[in-house]
Amino acid sequence: MNSAVIEVLAPRYGIAWYPWAVQYFFLIAISYSALLLTVPGLLFGKKNYESLAKVALLVTVSCTLVGPVALLADLHQPLRFWHFYANLTPWSWMSIGSLLLPVYLILVVAYAWLAWRPAMQVQAQGEGWIAKLSGWVSLGQWCAPRWMLVVAGLGALALSVGIMVYTGAEVAIVKARPLWNTHWLPVMFVLTGLVAAAGLVILINRLMTGNDQEVNEQSLKVIVVTMILSALVAALWISEGITGFSPSVEQAFASLQRNPEWRAVAIYGLLVGIALTLSAIAMLRRPGWIGRSWIAGLLAVHIGWTFRWMVLMEVQTVAKNTAGYYHYAIEAGSSGLMGIIGTFGLWLAALLIIDILVPWKKSLQASSH
Amino acid sequence: MDKIRRTLLGQIAKLTAGAALVPLSSIAAAGINDQPARREGDPEKRYAMLIDLRACIGCQACTVSCHIENEAPLGSFRTIVSQYEVEHEETGNTATFMLPRLCNHCENPPCVPVCPVQATFQRKDGIVVVDNEACVGCAYCVQACPYDARFINEYTQTADKCTFCAHRLDVGLLPACVESCVGGARIIGDIRDPNSQISRMMKEHYNELMVLKPEMGTAPHVFYLGMDERFVSRPDAKPAIWDVRDQQGEEIGYEFSGH
Repeated sequence: MNSAVIEVLAPRYGIAWYPWAVQYFFLIAISYSALLLTVPGLLFGKKNYESLAKVALLVTVSCTLVGPVALLADLHQPLRFWHFYANLTPWSWMSIGSLLLPVYLILVVAYAWLAWRPAMQVQAQGEGWIAKLSGWVSLGQWCAPRWMLVVAGLGALALSVGIMVYTGAEVAIVKARPLWNTHWLPVMFVLTGLVAAAGLVILINRLMTGNDQEVNEQSLKVIVVTMILSALVAALWISEGITGFSPSVEQAFASLQRNPEWRAVAIYGLLVGIALTLSAIAMLRRPGWIGRSWIAGLLAVHIGWTFRWMVLMEVQTVAKNTAGYYHYAIEAGSSGLMGIIGTFGLWLAALLIIDILVPWKKSLQASSH
Repeated sequence: MDKIRRTLLGQIAKLTAGAALVPLSSIAAAGINDQPARREGDPEKRYAMLIDLRACIGCQACTVSCHIENEAPLGSFRTIVSQYEVEHEETGNTATFMLPRLCNHCENPPCVPVCPVQATFQRKDGIVVVDNEACVGCAYCVQACPYDARFINEYTQTADKCTFCAHRLDVGLLPACVESCVGGARIIGDIRDPNSQISRMMKEHYNELMVLKPEMGTAPHVFYLGMDERFVSRPDAKPAIWDVRDQQGEEIGYEFSGH
């Protein structure tokens, strides 16, 4: 029997996760990705990667500090955050994350502190309040052995794997939302995080360190490789849906069937992805073009952020039980636009405060030995 | 949805309804995202609901009485009756299909293990509840529920959901929705008691019972009698236009996109 069905009555289901969640996922992904970019220069002490490590370290610290603020704000009862620690729940991914996150933050800050300390100790010799503050922050003139930096760095790296796994798994286990319920989602979060982090490093490099060509080149290479891998992952995800290999992905496709907006989003994503990959390749090939890497940097940051917006916000507009799609209009207040602007404002403030107080452009500890 | 798929889903729905009758003992907590141990409530009982759709007239008395009993904020519902207009494409005949929705108090509730602070839990009698003194309002459970049975209560800023009116059941009263149902379509009871009305009806209609979204593996404990397979999962339907405004012209309702 063929029949046409009209849904006459259905209640409104609001958005449960606000743009704060997008901000957290964006900042924390840049944080762990930029941390990876510091590894060759800072942890392995490779000279030609030192400039990259300097910028990436600034990026990772600023994002690590601000990300958890956005996460806290996404709770409807933020003052109850201590409940996470009073009721340890090892079977919940979110609870596991609440344990990993503070340890990760402390290790990243310790890693950066040890890397910046020699330069801060030199700065402490000077005059003025910044010098005085540097003296306090560097906790004396004693020389921190290199193993401390290595331990903090390796610890932060180990915890960053935990952050990658938990942020991905937290979303990917939600069967109720087939668009999330795929093991490719955590992989995609990491890959687009690397794209965005490399993009942000290029932008900071352009704005704060005089457009170092080596940093641009290394970051563009990261973008090209991760974009190609992202394309591969997207292709695998799509093929799982088409072939029915994954019933969940198949369901995800069915939930977007005949929706022109989602089709437009898919086409847009494809075009921006191609544009970024090709422009990054072109900039690497043509010597004169590398100075304009910031264009690719902007695109890369855009892709990293928009991917999270689509995944976390727009997927919430796909109805679970009812017909059609919900309309999500971003609010002006703190659970909407102000939240987004506020988080970026806070990040900018953190970046500038570090820039004022820390001589981060000077040699890192890696090269002082 | 094509016919074969529809039939298959219907069969799964029936099978799952059957499987849910086998009482599962409390599942011990083990790996990540496994069900934690149940707490509170009467371990001798397992509450469930049977909704006889043949007797539902879509009057929304349950929606209203639940709203009043449980003081849900305007626009948020612990239960609702979805209504569909079904038109036969060849004859043009129309019929209305009513589908009361509420928390399914699943045997394998996906909302419970995700809770990071153990604020939402399943009682030993099967009822899934939220301790809103402990809830941090992370809304993870809202995302995890495949039935949209949860929402963030804008007054309490914590997760809210149907509790089968546990506060009424515990003192020997019926849930507000059951009490107010004019057709007697909602039957609640203890499925461990073979003489309860729900047990007798489930035995009688064993092969006709269906549950919602069986493919989610949640083993729901709200059973539907007189159900149409096409409505078991997200129905292939057109959304009606909705644009509810108050007397000042301010929008108080919502709109579906795509119209």
